[in-house]
Order: sequence, then structure tokens, then C-alpha cells
Amino acid sequence: MIDALAYGVIALAGIAVIWGVVTAIANKPPGKAQLLYAAGLEAVTVVQSIIAVAKIVGGFRPVELATTIGYLIGIMILLPIAWFWANVERNRFSGIILAVAAFAVLAMTLRLIMLWTPAG
Amino acid sequence: MTEAGSQLSDSTGRRTNTGAGRVLVAIYGIFALAATARASVQLITRYEEAPLAYLLSAVAGLIYIVATITLARGTRTSRRVALVAIIIELVGVVTVGTLSIVDPAAFPRATVWSVYGIGYGFVPLLLPILGLAWLWRTRPSAP
Repeated sequence: MIDALAYGVIALAGIAVIWGVVTAIANKPPGKAQLLYAAGLEAVTVVQSIIAVAKIVGGFRPVELATTIGYLIGIMILLPIAWFWANVERNRFSGIILAVAAFAVLAMTLRLIMLWTPAG
Repeated sequence: MTEAGSQLSDSTGRRTNTGAGRVLVAIYGIFALAATARASVQLITRYEEAPLAYLLSAVAGLIYIVATITLARGTRTSRRVALVAIIIELVGVVTVGTLSIVDPAAFPRATVWSVYGIGYGFVPLLLPILGLAWLWRTRPSAP
């Protein structure tokens, strides 16, 4: 984990949450820019997981090793599944689905930051 | 059915996997993933610490998986299975939530349903209520 990158993911995910809620309130399905943004968020999330796994492979041992690895893998599959699920039936609820997934990414990143303390 | 018409047909018995139901499925999916992953880690790495709590975590994960799949399918049979799963879920979160307050020793904080799901913003308590409400709203016999 790199702190700056993790906080970046949190900020980007926060924007995705708001964006999804806004299009839902406007009663619109997510637009192209919004879907591309979600893909960008996914890309940054994957980069974060790769860096964190590399650090673990390189010898870093967080307190809860198994949980941390579970989070690092789990966080990568949320947005792709949500993306698919949101696009099967495109309406206002698609935006909420993307928002829910982005919120989960945000919450999991916060948890990862807490988990990222070396075992004593 | 057009988008504008969907508002009207909301009460006339719809599949559970359309409209707002898709959001419900998404939330159930996330909890299926979270609870199952958490239970797996707990059972594999420290089963002997709190076997009851960790087995309950696994049961919770299983119920979330069943609810996710059956709500996502949205057939007549699957909604019946969803109803059973969600009732068990509601009983589970209320029971475990209460027991975890009354007898914290039996339920270390590490389950999805501890203290009514406080670790997950109480969504575990809200979710079965929303699930039952959605099944009621989309019931086939609705006028």
C-alpha cells in the first residue's frame, strides 16, 4: 500500500458514488463518461492491489495477512461485476449499482489502510 | 414496457430482478462476498478461537449467496427460496445481534451479524427488511 495512492482511490471512489447518485436522481442511466470513469477507478484499484501484493511478496507482513490478501483480491472484482450488472438493464438504478460498488471500494480501501500495519 | 410505464407496473407483480431489485441484488452480492470471504479466512486461520461465531459467519455467507442468486433469477420458484433465505437471515441477524450484546464472550466482534451488523453500518439488519419489502412489492398476486 502507498498512502497517497490509497487516499487517491478513496477520493476517486467518492466521486463515483456521488456521480451514480446524481444520474439516478436525474433519472438517467450512466453515460459514457461515467462508465469510463468507473473503468479508470477500477484500473487505479488494480494498480493499488498489485503494488500491495508486491510489497507482501517482498517481505512486508501486515498483522492480518490472510484478511489483507482477501481484501486486495476482493476489491478488484467489485466494479467489473457491478459494471456488467448495471449495463444489463440500463436505467436510473444502474447509477445506484455503480455507486454501491464504488462505496464498497471506498470502505474496503479505508479498511486496508487500517490493516496495513506491520506485524510485531 | 417503456421506462415511463415502469412506475405504474411496480405494484402489479414483477420479477425481483428488475428496477430497484437490481440494486438489492448488488448489495446482497457484496455481502455474500464479504461474509463468505471473512468466514473462510476465520475458519482456515483460527477456527479454534471461536468455532460458533465463525461457523455462523459461514452460514450467514451461505444465506447471502442464496438470496443473491434467487433474487437475481427472479422466477416464481426462486422468489420462494429467496423468501425462506431472507426470513432466516432476519432471524439470524436479530438473534446473533442480541446474543452478541447479552453474551459477548460467545460472539467475539468478528461476525457479520454481531451487534446487528454494527461493523457494516447496520446494513445487515436493514437488508432482510428491504428484501422482504421488495418481495412483497413484487408479489405475483398484487392487484
